[in-house]
Amino acid sequence: MDSITKIKTENLELFYGEVQALKNINLDIKEKEVTALIGPSGCGKSTFLKTINRMNDLIVGCKINGKVIFDDIDIYGQDIDIITLRKKIGMVFQKPNPFKMSIYDNIAYGPRIHGVKKKSSLDEIVEKSLRKAFIWDEVKDRLKTNALSLSGGQQQRLCIARALAVDPEVVLMDEPTSALDPISTLKIEDLISELKKNYTIIIVTHNMQQGARISDRTAFFLSGEVIEYDLTDTIFTNPKNPKTEEYITGRFG
Amino acid sequence: MKKKFSAICILISVSLLLVGCGSANTSDKTVSVVGSSSVAPLAEYESENFLRVDKAIEVDVQSVGSSSGIKAAIDGTANIGMSSRNLSEEEAKELKEVVIALDGIAVVVNPNNKVKNLTKDELLAIYQGKIRNWKDVGGDDAPIVVISREEGSGTRGAFEEITGLEIEKNDKKYTTVFSRAIITDGNGSVKQNIALKKNGIGYISVGSVDDSVKSVAVDGVLPTEETIKAGEYLISRPFLLLTKGDPTPEAQAFIDFILSDEGQKLVKEHNYITVN
Amino acid sequence: MKKKLDKLAELLFITSAIICVLALLLIMIFIFYKGAPSILETGVFKFLFGVEWQPRAEVFGILPMITASVLVTIGAILIGAPVGVLTATFIVYLAPKRIGNILKTATDVLASIPSVIYGFFGLMIIIPFIDRFLAGGAGGNSILAAIIILSIMILPTVISISESSMREVDISYRDASLALGATKISTIFKVMIPSAFSGIMAAVILGVGRALGEAMAVILVSGNAPFMPDSILAPVRTMSANIALEMGYASGAHQEALFGTGVVLFVFIFIINFIFYIVKHKGGVKN
Repeated sequence: MDSITKIKTENLELFYGEVQALKNINLDIKEKEVTALIGPSGCGKSTFLKTINRMNDLIVGCKINGKVIFDDIDIYGQDIDIITLRKKIGMVFQKPNPFKMSIYDNIAYGPRIHGVKKKSSLDEIVEKSLRKAFIWDEVKDRLKTNALSLSGGQQQRLCIARALAVDPEVVLMDEPTSALDPISTLKIEDLISELKKNYTIIIVTHNMQQGARISDRTAFFLSGEVIEYDLTDTIFTNPKNPKTEEYITGRFG
Repeated sequence: MKKKFSAICILISVSLLLVGCGSANTSDKTVSVVGSSSVAPLAEYESENFLRVDKAIEVDVQSVGSSSGIKAAIDGTANIGMSSRNLSEEEAKELKEVVIALDGIAVVVNPNNKVKNLTKDELLAIYQGKIRNWKDVGGDDAPIVVISREEGSGTRGAFEEITGLEIEKNDKKYTTVFSRAIITDGNGSVKQNIALKKNGIGYISVGSVDDSVKSVAVDGVLPTEETIKAGEYLISRPFLLLTKGDPTPEAQAFIDFILSDEGQKLVKEHNYITVN
Repeated sequence: MKKKLDKLAELLFITSAIICVLALLLIMIFIFYKGAPSILETGVFKFLFGVEWQPRAEVFGILPMITASVLVTIGAILIGAPVGVLTATFIVYLAPKRIGNILKTATDVLASIPSVIYGFFGLMIIIPFIDRFLAGGAGGNSILAAIIILSIMILPTVISISESSMREVDISYRDASLALGATKISTIFKVMIPSAFSGIMAAVILGVGRALGEAMAVILVSGNAPFMPDSILAPVRTMSANIALEMGYASGAHQEALFGTGVVLFVFIFIINFIFYIVKHKGGVKN
């Protein structure tokens, strides 16, 4: 347990208006590991994920107390540049959402808005990112075709490549396989295991087997609280909290 | 589909036929009134009202132009001829004429315009685009905004005919009003434009002149009922009804109606000058 | 009983549809039947490219009117389309809900104002303004005046159609872009608007149709001179204005030439609608 802490939350609370969605969250997320967030619907795991790159800022009436410390900096502190933060913390969504543009332009979109203009640099980034997402071989001959013509699984890998193209340190994944078929899901899972060599990954999943297969650590969320957070093996084989055990063994949720 | 289409075609033609029959109301006493296209709308209007006075007489108005109207009256192919120009001496010998109305066209400018008088030549030059600045006709140094009426307007026709803006070439009538002139539809619209533009010039029926615009004297004569009746004002013309000898009783009845108070009220409604 | 009612309803629908198609066909046949002979008599080339319009002498050249229609429409689109699209963008992505609703209501009201009112506004306000400050007293009835009025008149069309096409864009595109570190504005302009591109194009094309066909308002402000324009301040007569202005008194060859103008206008509108159709149907996937 001597890995480096990448993200740490301290007494994190989140309110949607009057409703408290997150209660007193204290988590240490380790660098270059896969951390899985599990729990029943509405338990707050997705909400927690979005506090890490401040996507909750978009929601009117959302209020946050406590700290989220990323590389020793409180991301809810003053003088935080959200653009730089989001460049470092990428995100992949539940439903594949490639932009209505070519495969190439989808990947180049991020680098372009961050100022990369040279064609050769963009070409290099596009190829590198697509390779990292295991999709290069499938699309290298049709980079100019519309991304929406790809299959669902390909689209999601493209979205991962798009997130990687701005060179993030952390990748947040919000149930990335829930809209995909089993084969595509397996491909994404393989990809995640590969990516953790270079990236810190936090993944929300509904699928416990998936969590068990790919993650190093698991946090179990219930009603806006973290009930238990430990090594994945421990959570699935020897949970300390009876509620965790109930959930793991499928008695509810 | 094809069948349905032809059915509809038949339906349309039948209804057109019915409409046609409606107007060919048989009547033994018909007065044919033929001639000037300027007088025709007034005569038509008079005849509609005349119908209420005497249902037995049917008036048939045809608009073919003054010259054809005069010829038809001389030939006797029409009971009454209509003309919006004075008769030549020869024509006058053959026909009896009755003036039913006078048409005067006032040249108007913005009330703030200094110019009070224009010669006929100046007016012609302005409308032909040869004079483009008010200072050339005694006004301020400002562009002249020429306003005319739409093609087919009776006022425009009369204005061009009397001032000589309309010319004939190879039996065809051309307008020499320069093509950059602003065209508006209706006396009201001309007035509105002149009232809003300090450099505008336009022409409207004398009957519709009001305070929003200022009439300009043409060759030193202002357009008033008196000067027009006296034949002094240039841009005016009589509306004549012509008969060869004494009119038929029916024709006489129609002429009498037009000259009556009621008939002259209709003349006024058309912004023409009455004759009594 | 119920079956009978169903049958009756079906019949009603079919009849309505047939009436609709038939109306279009009849109008088309009528316009071409009345107008085509005049064009052929004058000669297609002479009719389309002649610069003289002398109805009394039966000289019919409508190049000035075609030019005017094209110029005025292009101008109205150049102003109206960006303003409309930006307004729609503001309503959809930037404005607080309440202000967005006020703007939408304003747009609807703008759409319901009769065109003669627009024309009157142009005549009383815009023309005197142009006359005094731009034209140096030379009139003010001009291409510019028509462009200004038409660009306002096409706004409701452009706004409402681009608004609805922007609302159809998946909101998760926005999230994806923001999560990549894009600002709100670059997200709107680089992702959201391009995604709604075909709908926005459709909006603009419908705007073109509206501008091209409008007569009432244009007659009041454009000056209606059948004259090849030499400046943006020159008075011009559009094709629709030509028809509306002179049809009242016209007869014989003159009337036929006005129908001929209608044929040309019809062809223009037809082309516009064809482009609209193409844009709309290739819209799904770009490239």
